[in-house]
Amino acid sequence: MADVPAGRRRHRVLRRLAVRVPQYVLIVLVAASANFALPRLMPGEPVELLLGEMANRLPAETVAQELADVGLDQPLLVQYGRYMAGLARGDLGYSFRHRRPVSTLVAERLPWTILLVGTALLISTILGVALAAFAVWRRGRRRDTASIALFTFLESTPPFWIGLLLLIWFAANLKVLPLYGTVSVDATTGLARVGDILLHLVLPAATLVLTSVGAVFLLARASLLGVVREDYVLVARAKGLRERSVAFRHALPAASLPIATSVLLRVGALAGGAVIVERVFSYRGIGTLMLEASFGRDFPLLQGGVFVLTLVVVGVNLVGDLLYPRLDPRVRR
Amino acid sequence: MSKAGSGRRTNRTLAIVGAVMLTLFGLLAVFGSAIAPYDAGERAGRPFLEPSRDHLLGTDDVGHDILSELIGGARVSLLIGVTAAAISVVVGGLVGVSSGYRRGAVDAVLMRAVDFALVVPTIPLLIVVATYLERGMRSQILVVAVVLWAQPARIVRSQVLSLRERTHVLAARTYGARGPYLVRRHVVPAVTPLLIAEFVRVVSIAILFEVALSFIGLGDPVRRSWGSMIQFATDRGAFLTGAWKWWILPPGLCIAVVVCSFAFVGLGLEERVDRRLGRSATT
Repeated sequence: MADVPAGRRRHRVLRRLAVRVPQYVLIVLVAASANFALPRLMPGEPVELLLGEMANRLPAETVAQELADVGLDQPLLVQYGRYMAGLARGDLGYSFRHRRPVSTLVAERLPWTILLVGTALLISTILGVALAAFAVWRRGRRRDTASIALFTFLESTPPFWIGLLLLIWFAANLKVLPLYGTVSVDATTGLARVGDILLHLVLPAATLVLTSVGAVFLLARASLLGVVREDYVLVARAKGLRERSVAFRHALPAASLPIATSVLLRVGALAGGAVIVERVFSYRGIGTLMLEASFGRDFPLLQGGVFVLTLVVVGVNLVGDLLYPRLDPRVRR
Repeated sequence: MSKAGSGRRTNRTLAIVGAVMLTLFGLLAVFGSAIAPYDAGERAGRPFLEPSRDHLLGTDDVGHDILSELIGGARVSLLIGVTAAAISVVVGGLVGVSSGYRRGAVDAVLMRAVDFALVVPTIPLLIVVATYLERGMRSQILVVAVVLWAQPARIVRSQVLSLRERTHVLAARTYGARGPYLVRRHVVPAVTPLLIAEFVRVVSIAILFEVALSFIGLGDPVRRSWGSMIQFATDRGAFLTGAWKWWILPPGLCIAVVVCSFAFVGLGLEERVDRRLGRSATT
């Protein structure tokens, strides 16, 4: 780290930014364009596809007004221009079912999903990496087979099923945790409210952790085993260090790069899992919002939700990409 | 500490376990209707019966035999998973080979598409596409394939890229070997084992996606899969009565065992492929 002058290091980061940022911008543009194209390409009534099924039950002049806003009577290129300009202003369209702008609805629900996914990501990473380091430190054929089998099995279970089982045991039978929702209806204030929110978070977060810790474990284990064969680990052991400190102090930091990258790349998968898990627990995040929109055939809301979720995931990926050289000196040189 | 043979044996053990389980479920999927005690689509008894000798897993809300539904679900889930995975791997393979072989503009465009498909959150994308399409088995397969082709494409591409620089391929080119011959003689044999390993990996993801779609109610409304069984059981409040033990537990367990078996077989295959391609396996 010390042998690279600060100026040149900054230069590299900038160059990396210059390569990566356009790629991610392109992804966002493609996602936005797909959102524009989908309702116009799909078979069906364009009014319904653009405004949602509720449009059929609205007064004709409201629909005409809204269609004029969307610009359906204009050439496609003009519509596209208007659509993109709207997006740039944060205008994601209007949900006639909720009678509110899509951006407001999404903004209400998104923080809950971020809380859920963030908690699960943090816990599953710490747990998975620690278990992997432990597994590498105490190797043995029986134990290897057992741990690989167990974590692969966990990774193979459908999250909603695990969620249902947790719900049955802890909420329906033992009645120690809430059955559904994000906060209690008789909303309290202050510290009691924080406690209430955390209590509602336990089961959905535990579900996501259980079904994603396997992936973290398997990945961390593989990269630790790769590191364990390196010369400096041999040196550390030759110095007479204990196996535990070899595993946790020498091997783990070196293996942390692929782990860190993959953790950030897992955000997309976790967000997807969260959508399903939210439904199990009626957790009022963006996932339940999208599923409601899907059933109400509220297309603007559905697309707005996916677009914002895509933005968040792309943002996290970009951060991961930029952190990458900071974590691994080998890439920096 | 580095026990060279240990990892290999671990993977082989798991792969054998997986293969045996898959054979069992495969037989169930093919001969299910002959094995099942009742016709899964017919009323076989009173609704909400508890398990008994006549109905080993009881009956559902309209009196269908749950065990027979479970056996029928094997066919639906496996068929959708395997077909969707086959399509993804074939599409991904074609994209990967053309991208790695042609390079240049083709490569740039295809790889941006791969980036897109890899970054966009899959399940939300599944929900959007499934909402627009008509419900049914065919669109379910299509939807799953749409989100799963990218990973095989990227893996195949990097294999083709490294293949271009290998001496035997360079030698063949100096002798004047051209496109179709090179692809047939050198690219296909090198890429096929990778694609088989990818196929097995993708099947397990495809099955998980299929059950997730069915569970949220975007699956085939006619054919009962393991995912829609769980959905129906939940909607009929099975978790408030004791019925979850025979109505929710078994289908979920079947999904987990099948998906896990594919993953085990995949572990074994992956290692063989790695050894064959001269890469060092780390597990």
